[in-house]
Amino acid sequence: MRVLAIETSCDETSIAMVSMTDSVFTIEKNLISSQVKIHAQYGGVVPEVAAREHAAWIMPLLQEVGVAHDGSGIDVLAVTAGPGLVPALRVGVELAKTLAWAWNKPLVAVNHLEGHIYSVWLSAPLSPSSPSVPSRPPQFPALCLLVSGGHTELILMRGHGQYELLGMTRDDAAGEAFDKVAKLMGLEYPGGPKIAAFAREGDASAIHFPRPMIDSGDLDFSFAGLKTAVRVYLQAHPEASVENVSASFLQAVVDVLVKKTLVAVEKIHPSSVILSGGVSADRHVRETLKARLVDLDPSITFHAPDLSLTGDNAAMVGAAGLMKATRKEFVDPFTLKADPNMRLT
Amino acid sequence: MSNKTYRTSTEEETKSVAAEFASTLNGGDVVFLSGDLGSGKTTFVRGVAEMFGFKEPVRSPSFTIVNRYPVENSTVKRILHVDFYRLDDPSEIVPLALEEEVGRPDTVTFIEWPEKAEGRISEASQYIVFVADGDTRTITLLVPPRD
Repeated sequence: MRVLAIETSCDETSIAMVSMTDSVFTIEKNLISSQVKIHAQYGGVVPEVAAREHAAWIMPLLQEVGVAHDGSGIDVLAVTAGPGLVPALRVGVELAKTLAWAWNKPLVAVNHLEGHIYSVWLSAPLSPSSPSVPSRPPQFPALCLLVSGGHTELILMRGHGQYELLGMTRDDAAGEAFDKVAKLMGLEYPGGPKIAAFAREGDASAIHFPRPMIDSGDLDFSFAGLKTAVRVYLQAHPEASVENVSASFLQAVVDVLVKKTLVAVEKIHPSSVILSGGVSADRHVRETLKARLVDLDPSITFHAPDLSLTGDNAAMVGAAGLMKATRKEFVDPFTLKADPNMRLT
Repeated sequence: MSNKTYRTSTEEETKSVAAEFASTLNGGDVVFLSGDLGSGKTTFVRGVAEMFGFKEPVRSPSFTIVNRYPVENSTVKRILHVDFYRLDDPSEIVPLALEEEVGRPDTVTFIEWPEKAEGRISEASQYIVFVADGDTRTITLLVPPRD
């Protein structure tokens, strides 16, 4: 079964073709607007400032992905229907509805968070001829920590397509805290990866920043207070080392993420733990969570996406969409609407 | 109407200033919130939303750009929470189609980082400036004369 998947929920416009054979996914194409050059034949390079101009990107990407004009070879369409920005989501949703109707193919609506979770079921898109298959897919029940610029959520999966929200941030997402703390130190947006780089040169115990809600007993997160603590520290210590502030801040974030995940593990006793979303690209977050899980219970398997699939992309939407298609969870192209507040459950 | 200045040192104090301010709001109002990172802008909107009876957490809209909070009130049915923090260029506001929502008679709009819009958004009916120094925040309500 082959899916044409479309993702336009936030900044990236992305179209992918993903196939599934014997429960193994293969990414055939995964085009992401920030990573491809749209050439003059489409009326010039789409300027950088138009990051959210999905309407300008979507048709060139559809052409570039190499799908047949009549949709032959495609079995199902998948699109991110929410959560996200309505005008952004609409571009992808309307295209998917139109293609589904014109080609007379079934359509599935995917939740963006579900896409991030399924990124760990995907092999790395090295080349079509050498798909690297994940050694072992996650087993259920699976606990997912989804951390990105817009999300910090703990989600329990009891089976494919079965989600339960265990906890989430009450103010800022973890990735947002990275970017804002970077900005406080004068680093350019997006500063998350820069903080991680500085942190490797710094002393994580140099400054004791708060670990908000670490002992709250529930599975919710809060990062706004940590951002403010860094601001207050920088005002009092303008000569502070960027390396030490970065390392100490990163350690505070990692401690909270890991602690809450371990609390959830002890409550749920999952077979697998999944880390996904943009922040899962951070090596320190990955390695610490993995190591602490092994200490707690070595029988729990740990899964994080290939680094190329940590950000927003349509391949992950395709994987989630294919699973929905096997369950025949199709939607009507005449009634599907973008839903900015779409929930997983 | 004269400007008002408050000094707060806790999240609760900021929220109570917000709650007092909320009682002066009318449907269609557009409130600009200016101030640096961590100066209390989102906390202020949280205080307003709680005053209007919104029960869920008010999260930062920096990533999502627009959050919407449905509320039950005689005139205000919805709080629109906008944040232009991530915008690189004011032209990026156009595809957000905010003109469909900002200033609607049943909606109160809060806009963080309004400077980044460079005028490409409706004018403010109220303007609030946040300055943080250590744990102290100075909140100044600037109320332009109504025509």
